[in-house]
Amino acid sequence: MIKEKLLNIDRRILYGLLILVTVIPLRCDQKLNNITDDYSNAFYEAVSNIPEGKTVFIESDWTTSTRGENSGHLEALLRILMAKKTKFAIFSVGDAQAPGVFRGVLLRLMEERKTLGLPAYQPFEDYVDLGYFANAEGTLQAIGGDVRKVFEKKSIRDAEGKQRSAFDSPVLSNVKSVGDVPMYIVVTASNTIDRAIERLSAKTTLACMCTGVIGPSALPYFQSGQLKGVAIGLKGVFDIEYLMANGLNLETKESVKWSKQPDKTAQPITVGKTLDRGNRYFLSFMCAILLLIATVVTGNVMMFVARAQSKPQGDEA
Amino acid sequence: MPWTPQQLNVIDAVKITGGVACTIGLYSILYKETKLFRFFEHVFLGLAAGYMVVAMYKESLYPQWIQRMTGQMDDAGNVTQPAMFLYVVLLPIGLLGYTVFSRKHNWMSRIPIGIILGLWAGQQLLNYWDTASPGIYSSMQPIIPTTWSSFVEPDKFGLTPDQIKALNQQIYPSQAINNLIFVIAILSSLSYFIYSFDTKNRAMSTFNRIGRWTLMIGFGAIFGSTVMARFALVIDRMYYIWVEWIQALQKAFGQ
Amino acid sequence: MMELLAQVEYGPLAVKPYSTEWLIGLIVTFLLAAGAAIGLSKVPANFRRPIVSIGTFLCGLIYVLYWLWPRPVNLKPDQVPNGMVEQVGKGLSDTLPLLADVANILTSFLLGLGVYSLARIHFGKIIKRQSDRGFSWVLIVSATMISVFGFVDYILRSQDKAGKLVDRENWGFFNVGQDIMFDGLLLQMDSVMFSLIAFFILSAAYRAFRIRSVESTVMMASALVLMLSLLSPIMFQWNTMIAQMAKGMNIPNADPSIPYPGGFFHNLQISDWANWVKGNLQTPALRAVDFGILLGALAMGLRLWLGLEKGGVSV
Repeated sequence: MIKEKLLNIDRRILYGLLILVTVIPLRCDQKLNNITDDYSNAFYEAVSNIPEGKTVFIESDWTTSTRGENSGHLEALLRILMAKKTKFAIFSVGDAQAPGVFRGVLLRLMEERKTLGLPAYQPFEDYVDLGYFANAEGTLQAIGGDVRKVFEKKSIRDAEGKQRSAFDSPVLSNVKSVGDVPMYIVVTASNTIDRAIERLSAKTTLACMCTGVIGPSALPYFQSGQLKGVAIGLKGVFDIEYLMANGLNLETKESVKWSKQPDKTAQPITVGKTLDRGNRYFLSFMCAILLLIATVVTGNVMMFVARAQSKPQGDEA
Repeated sequence: MPWTPQQLNVIDAVKITGGVACTIGLYSILYKETKLFRFFEHVFLGLAAGYMVVAMYKESLYPQWIQRMTGQMDDAGNVTQPAMFLYVVLLPIGLLGYTVFSRKHNWMSRIPIGIILGLWAGQQLLNYWDTASPGIYSSMQPIIPTTWSSFVEPDKFGLTPDQIKALNQQIYPSQAINNLIFVIAILSSLSYFIYSFDTKNRAMSTFNRIGRWTLMIGFGAIFGSTVMARFALVIDRMYYIWVEWIQALQKAFGQ
Repeated sequence: MMELLAQVEYGPLAVKPYSTEWLIGLIVTFLLAAGAAIGLSKVPANFRRPIVSIGTFLCGLIYVLYWLWPRPVNLKPDQVPNGMVEQVGKGLSDTLPLLADVANILTSFLLGLGVYSLARIHFGKIIKRQSDRGFSWVLIVSATMISVFGFVDYILRSQDKAGKLVDRENWGFFNVGQDIMFDGLLLQMDSVMFSLIAFFILSAAYRAFRIRSVESTVMMASALVLMLSLLSPIMFQWNTMIAQMAKGMNIPNADPSIPYPGGFFHNLQISDWANWVKGNLQTPALRAVDFGILLGALAMGLRLWLGLEKGGVSV
């Protein structure tokens, strides 16, 4: 009877179990240990060591459909940049909804800074929001050709809400070509990372924060050096947050030790929040993975049991 | 009159409650397809289609077409961007797309599509070279060791940057084996996709089989990664319902 | 042609906004373009395909020329190109943003086709009084609501010169309504739709992820190694244990506090297995797939560009 049931578990029981194992650990807010991935280490090292006074481009091509992963990516990235006072230009080429979503993240982080008593990160002075550009292929090709021609017509708002030209901003005033940007970071839930690699990898340094679905296809580009670093999925969020909290290859006990590249170092973030969404979701994630492994093992064990039982019957027949 | 903080909290609570209702309505498909699910499914489709119209106008058509066609002036009346009336040409070209519904003139809908495809096609030569060439280069990995001083690469902790650099320049036997596996894996995977000539001879079919296994390993790893992505989304939804919603209600209506 | 396209922003075709010459230019250009479109509708059937093919070819040619033509090195934005070769090179490079605009604008027009089709289907259901027309009403009402609220919100924000609407306290009815519909409903439902797949993956993995052949076993083993490696807090404990064992055996550099096992003991870390699988098997497999896709895109691009794709531009 139990064997029969285990061989054919109702899908709704599995769904219910998944909800249970993801909900219960959410209440547990404990700092977890981590083994960070090489490509996450490379990402954090690269972003942490961006030269002072330079502007970073962030192409944010995700919407709330992948908030569980990309929101953590963008929050962590912006916290690093804000802590290091790095200026950035943020825009989207992947989805018309994306600017609405990254603006929400920016708003949340501004509130957070206010609550923590940190100085405000001012639009126009510290960052520019360039909105959406349709047609990823054409836009990225044009950014590679002449970035000023693409961005100059975008009028943006300064801290007082007044319309200004994007290149009046101190964020973009020193950017003559995309090669002047030390890092072009794509936060994506789609294949816009491929489009960026095709059109920009020969012109600037690219890094990527992507969902677990896109991650495997980004890894070959990391291996070939076309991507300086990659943060993949929820594990990527957890890795970056962990590195923000502990630093990389430092003398401290907590610091992450990257055995393959012990000469690359990055300081931890000491201003504002570090551990957030990645750490908070990870326990639930582990429970869900263990449930999946358990169901696969159960399915296979019961298949073998059923096969073993049906064999003698078959012989008799 | 500006909203008070308490009113804003109530607005947030209403907004999140709406989101939670939609979440539960759409999750009802997990039990079975009900009218509740179909209702929320249609709300979703309607909102997505309606928003796309707004987004296309405000993020693309207005700044990239109308604003360039009409030019821009600042508050003082100074021209900040001249008007380029030639952009109006795109209106009839774009509208040609709608001839797809005409039996007689539907061939004309291919003109705007042809322009977009032509622009896409022209980029492919550049893309191929910029994307594939670093990949091809980095796939040519050294398979002959340059040193036999140790089978595996020595630990790098505690070494100076120069010593690490010197170590990185060497190929140790274990690395050479890994590189050989890499090269075999990529060549065998590529050979699996060869359909242009007969690959039935034994050596080739064995090589193909290795390619198939390599691809299976790759797909297995992709599965693991995809599972991570999807579970993260479920966790986020649960967080939205069980944490964000409750917090919003508490903020709006007290403890 | 290149120069004309490249300098269109600064040449005689760019005039003062809302001036008489602008209005005349706009009307004349529109009438000419509309006349050309009407003229095209009268074109004999045997000329149709060449017209589409030539248009496609010319659009692609600009990018191909951009790739092949020598470009001036380190030319500053205000510097005049030297000689015809540099002029054409700069002209081609300046043309790219314009082409991106053209593609964006035409894409936006064509996306309207999807909305039109959706509206046609659902209005059709309502007119024919089909049994499930209630859902069509739901769709149309929600689409109309978000469009109206979205446009009004956009107009209010465009007119807000003082930037009052940056603060939520100053939002009006339409700003709040748009926020509730976009952030509160649409984005959340978007997320739900994607997350549903997790449930189906779990159910499908239980039913279909079975050891039935060598290939499926290999695939499952690889997936299991990767999934186990994702459980990094557990892996941290595992690696600590390995490092303790290594330290007990006096392996140089072994340090359980990091945790770092050192030497051969590295190979006992599941995270290292996963890295090995990803680095030596997954990466080449996916790169092979990528090469195939790129070759396919190149071949498809050439076929479209040269008008060899029968399905694409046959008329």
